[in-house]
Amino acid sequence: MYILGISCYYHDSSAALLKDGIIVAAAQEERFTRKKHDTSFPINAVKYCLESQDIAMGDVSYVGFYEKPFLKFERVLSQHLEMFPKSLKTFLVSMPSWINEKLRVPGTIKKKLGYNKGVLFIEHHLAHAASTFLASPFEQAAILTADGVGEWTTTTCGYGKGNDIELLKEIRFPHSIGLLYSTITAYLGFSVNNSEYKVMGLSPYGNMDKNTNPYYDKLKQAIDIKDDGSFRLDMSYFTFHYADRMPSKKLCVLLGGPVRKPESELAQRHKDIAAALQLVTEEILTKILNHLHGITKCDNVALAGGVALNSVYNGKILRNTPFKNIWIQPDAGDGGTSIGAASYIYHTLFGNKRNYVLRDAYLGPKYSMDYIKLFLDKNKIKYSQFRDDDDLIKNTAKLIYGNSVVGWFQGGMEWGPRALGARSILSNPCNPGMKEILNQKVKHREKFRPFAPAVCEDDALKYFECDVPIPEPTDFMLMVYPIRKEWQDKIPAVTHVDGSGRLQTVRRHQNPRYYDLIKEFGKLSGIPIVINTSFNIRGEPIVCTPYDAYKCMMGTGIDCMAIGNFLIKREENPQDMWDSEKNARD
Amino acid sequence: MKIKMKGLRQFLAGLKKGAISFGRNTSLIVNTALLALVYFLGVGIAAVIAKICGKHFLEMRLSKLSKDHTYWSDLNLRKKPAAEHYRQF
Repeated sequence: MYILGISCYYHDSSAALLKDGIIVAAAQEERFTRKKHDTSFPINAVKYCLESQDIAMGDVSYVGFYEKPFLKFERVLSQHLEMFPKSLKTFLVSMPSWINEKLRVPGTIKKKLGYNKGVLFIEHHLAHAASTFLASPFEQAAILTADGVGEWTTTTCGYGKGNDIELLKEIRFPHSIGLLYSTITAYLGFSVNNSEYKVMGLSPYGNMDKNTNPYYDKLKQAIDIKDDGSFRLDMSYFTFHYADRMPSKKLCVLLGGPVRKPESELAQRHKDIAAALQLVTEEILTKILNHLHGITKCDNVALAGGVALNSVYNGKILRNTPFKNIWIQPDAGDGGTSIGAASYIYHTLFGNKRNYVLRDAYLGPKYSMDYIKLFLDKNKIKYSQFRDDDDLIKNTAKLIYGNSVVGWFQGGMEWGPRALGARSILSNPCNPGMKEILNQKVKHREKFRPFAPAVCEDDALKYFECDVPIPEPTDFMLMVYPIRKEWQDKIPAVTHVDGSGRLQTVRRHQNPRYYDLIKEFGKLSGIPIVINTSFNIRGEPIVCTPYDAYKCMMGTGIDCMAIGNFLIKREENPQDMWDSEKNARD
Repeated sequence: MKIKMKGLRQFLAGLKKGAISFGRNTSLIVNTALLALVYFLGVGIAAVIAKICGKHFLEMRLSKLSKDHTYWSDLNLRKKPAAEHYRQF
C-alpha cells in the first residue's frame, strides 16, 4: 500500500511516500524549483516520489494533507475580526492566495496529480507529532510539538504509545514560541522563517547570564511564563496577528532601539538580545518538558515543529530535564509534516503495526554512475574516474587534508534542512583559516556563524561532551554539544565562540563512504573530523542534481567535486558559468 | 514587405504584452477593491457588532498575578474515525 503525504502553502513544501509503512522517498520542493523555502504545491517532489518507486498516482491508495485548511482559515478570519481595521493590509495581501489555492486543496490535488479519491486532512500538530513519534525507535514517548502556528495550535504536549498518538494539551494562537523567536529574528534584521538559526548561532556572542543580561528581564515583560511552562505573549509588544511587520513600536522601545537594518553591523546589544531570546526560549521549553514528564511519566521524548530545530537547546534537554532518551526526525519543521500525515494514516488511522525507524536521512533523489557519466560526457566536463571506493576515499581525504574545498555528491539527497554527507561541502577543520576560506570561496556567510563538524559516532565522545549513549538526533545535526577543551584549539574552524559544535555523528550503516572518508582523513590529520557544510551558496537551496552541483561548484571557489566515482576539478573546466557573488543573498 | 511584416509582428507582440499587463493590473485593482469592500462591509460590521457584544476572537488576556494559573488548555486530540479526516475542518 502506497500513501502520499503532502505539505505546502506555508513554507517548505514537501512530499513523502510510504510503502507499507516504510518511508521510501521524501523531498522538499525547494530542491527542484531552486527557490529556498518554496511554498508552492510540491508537484516536483511528488513526481520524484512516484518515479523513485516506478509507480503512478493510480497506485497510491491514500493522500494525506498536513493540516485542516478550513480550521486555519477560521483562525485567519478571527485575526481580522479581532484586529479590524488594523488588519486591512494583510487581508488584501493574503486573501487571494486563500481563495485561489489554500481553500482548494482537494481540487488542486485532483487537477495536478489526477488523483480522484478523497484526501485525508491531518491536524497540523498531529502531523508534527506523527512525523516524530511514528518514525522514532520508541514504543512509547512523551511528545512535544512547538512551532509558529498550525491551525490554531502553537504548542502541544502529547503522548504516543504503539500506533496511537494523543495530544493532551495545547497553547493556542497568538501565543507562540516560534512567533516570539521569529519576531526577535525580524527585530535583529534577519529574515523570518529562514534565519532563526542565525539568531541561535549569534546568541553565544551575547551575555548568556540571566542575572546580568538586561534584555532577559525586558523580554520577560513581553511574555508571562507559568511554572508548568504554559505561557502567553503580551500582544501589545507584537504585531504579527494583524501586520506583516512583526515587532511593534512598543517592543522597539522595550529593547532600546529600532529594528536593525539587514546586513548592517551587529552591535553588542543585538548579540545580547539574541542571547536573552535563547535564554527565555530555553526556560520555557525546560518548564514544558518537566511538566510533560510529570503528566506522561515516560522517559522518552520525541520533539517536532520548527522550535525542535533549536539544536543549541536540544543538546541540553537530557541534562536539564528528567527525560533519558530523545528523538527528533531530520526535518522537524513544517517540511517534515508530509511524513507525519502519511505515517498517521497508515499506522494510526488504519492500525498497521509500526515496522520502521527513520535511521538515515537519504530519502531524496539519487543518481546512478551511468547517469552521472552521461551528464559529464554530454556537457564535455573534464573528469577522472576512481578505480573503486577505496581509491575515491583515499584521494578525497588527501584533497581535504591538503586544504582543498571539496564538493561531496554521493547517494540520495538528504531529507531536511541539513546536509549530512550526501550533498555536502567538506574541508579541513584543523586549518585555522578554513572558516574564512570557505566564506570567501563559497558560502559568503555572516562572520559570526560557525561551521559544523562531522565525526564518526565511535569517535564522538573523544572530542565532544555528548550525552551517553549519543542520541540519534545527533546523526541529523540537531544537537549542539561542547567540544572538549583540549581539542578546541586543534579544530578551530568548527569551534564556536562558546566552545560548542553542532556536530553530525556518522554511523557506518548510514553512509559507508562518508564514514570511511572521515576515518581516512583522521589517519592523515590525526583528528577524524571534517567540516561539513551544505552544498549550496547563501540564499540557495542545497543542490539536488549533478547539474545543480556542477553549476554551484563552477560558480564558486569549490576546488573539486567527488560525484559518485568521478572527480571533477574546477581548474580543469571553464569557470564562467555562474557568478555566485551576484546570487549570494538570503 | 518583409520589413512591414516584421514591424507588424513586433506591434502585435507588444500589443499582446500590453493587453496582458493591462488585464493583470485591472484584475489587481478590481480584486483589491472587492476585497476592501468585503473587509469593510463583511469583516468590519461583524467586528463592530462583536466588539459591542464584548466578543473576542483571540484570547489575549494575561493573568500575570496568579502564579498557579495555567495557560494550557485541554486538547485531547486522539484517534478519530477516518471519515472525519476527509473533512477540511
